[in-house]
Amino acid sequence: MKRMGARIGLALAVSLGLGCGDTRKEQASNPPAAAQPLESVRIALNWKAEPEFGGLFEAQRAGEFAKRGLALEITGGPGAPVVQMVEAGQVEFGFAAADEVVVARDRGSDVVAVFATYQTNPQGIMVHASRGLASLRDLFAAGGTLEVEPGLAYVKHLEKEFDLSKMKIVPYGYSIAPFLADPQMAQQVFVTAEPIAAKRQGADPQVFLIAETGFDPYAAVVIATGAQVRDHAERVSKVVAALRAGWRGYLDDPGPANAVMSTLNQEMDAETFRLAADAQKPLIEDDFAREHGIGAMSQQRWATLAGQLRALAIVDKEPDPGACWTEVRAID
Amino acid sequence: MSRLRDTVLPPAATFVLTTAAAELGIRAAHISPLLLPTPSAVARAAVAHAPTLLPALATTAKAVAIGLSLSIAVGLVVAIALSTSRFVERAFYPYAIFFQIVPIVAIAPLLVIWFGYGIRAVVAAAFIVSVFPVIANALAGLLSVDPALRDLFRLYGASGFARLVKLSLPWALPSVLVGLRIAAGLAVIGAIVGEFVGGGGLGVVVLEAMRQQRTDLVFAAVLHAAGLGLALFAAVNVASHFALRRWHSQEDET
Repeated sequence: MKRMGARIGLALAVSLGLGCGDTRKEQASNPPAAAQPLESVRIALNWKAEPEFGGLFEAQRAGEFAKRGLALEITGGPGAPVVQMVEAGQVEFGFAAADEVVVARDRGSDVVAVFATYQTNPQGIMVHASRGLASLRDLFAAGGTLEVEPGLAYVKHLEKEFDLSKMKIVPYGYSIAPFLADPQMAQQVFVTAEPIAAKRQGADPQVFLIAETGFDPYAAVVIATGAQVRDHAERVSKVVAALRAGWRGYLDDPGPANAVMSTLNQEMDAETFRLAADAQKPLIEDDFAREHGIGAMSQQRWATLAGQLRALAIVDKEPDPGACWTEVRAID
Repeated sequence: MSRLRDTVLPPAATFVLTTAAAELGIRAAHISPLLLPTPSAVARAAVAHAPTLLPALATTAKAVAIGLSLSIAVGLVVAIALSTSRFVERAFYPYAIFFQIVPIVAIAPLLVIWFGYGIRAVVAAAFIVSVFPVIANALAGLLSVDPALRDLFRLYGASGFARLVKLSLPWALPSVLVGLRIAAGLAVIGAIVGEFVGGGGLGVVVLEAMRQQRTDLVFAAVLHAAGLGLALFAAVNVASHFALRRWHSQEDET
């Protein structure tokens, strides 16, 4: 199911069909205080409507954007080149991974992270529990096939930390079918997605989080251009505030937003939505998020990531971690 | 000398002009290198990543060579079989068209399940997209044999095999070569798509470069694939020059 890969040949920007119709409804149910027209804000997803975007859909459903004078339009989808879309001004905001932000800046792009959904990176490697492996080190010693998207930063990290010579590394095919068919198969996952699907199809999956190996970039990060952060600070603040409120609502009761998302993503059943929303809670709201607010980030985490990407030679120049993110004061 | 001037100069001039225009245009418009790299950036990426690109090119070239060879062999046999009778042609030709319209991107993940990861899935993808032009063009050639010559062979009591080898195949050769020219380019496309799912070669370099937002390297890899297609096209042209100069006088002039 995962990840925001460059899926060439597939529709690049799949509209999720949440056009003006929904926003109008939102306006009607939550009229802004003043009768001024709503400011249009587009946000591009890098995946299907799944619980990783739960807070966004809850914010939209509960009128958190309209309340702040914003008309939200959700676009994008699997394979959408979100960084490029934000860079080109096709959307004001988009979802990306923290490592993508550092890399994009290294390539001359001006994107900045304003909100980090996951405090702990949800990416991991899924294996069959029947193999009796205790860690990634065990897996790499045992060998077998590993399905990962070519070029993932964390694969480079794993190659540096471990000896992967026994693994047959093949491209991830966006399906758990090969995993289900082969007991020696291991594959990349979002801990909140594929393992739940695999379990529901009768497999006995076990997941090792990449974060546990010391590579832990923020995930489902909301990005904007640096120019927008400077010139439209108020809009950015409102969006962060709406997201934060949406996530508060989603963490407390994911049911209503899951109902909205399940109409957009019919491949995922209600039970999987519920289980995934439950599984991701500790990754989103940890002690840091409780203290600083959901989505908050720290300079130290960005500096660690920047140093790791430089050491892995994924970036060509010494990154400036402070330029990769900005602390946004949420405005209500 | 004048021949060289006539054949090399026009494409070289086009190359220099378009490259220069792209370089200047992209620089003048301040387009982000993430969206569209300049030709010079692509050239730098090609040089810097040559240790990655060249082995990948070799891997892709091998898969293309095997897939294209299979297409030629299978395509010719199928075309000959279809040309034997109207009934056979009507019964099977519509199904050969299946290869033409199969959306390779959609079935590529299945190829991995059928053939496993690695070169076999890649060869299968190259074969599937390149076999139809061979069949279609060879069949057209085989069916266009001059009826008078066919009657002549029959009059002299030539066997079916002799008619095939001495009349139909030589007659169809120009058409077969047209099919090969089309198949060569398609085989490269098929192999790259196969590599997206099966792994290896330039296909994986493209995926890696996309993920790491090295747009310049994406273009460099695509240019290597294009070069491979051009080289095959040129090889078919050279082959047709030598194959046809004995029979088809017009080939000498081109």
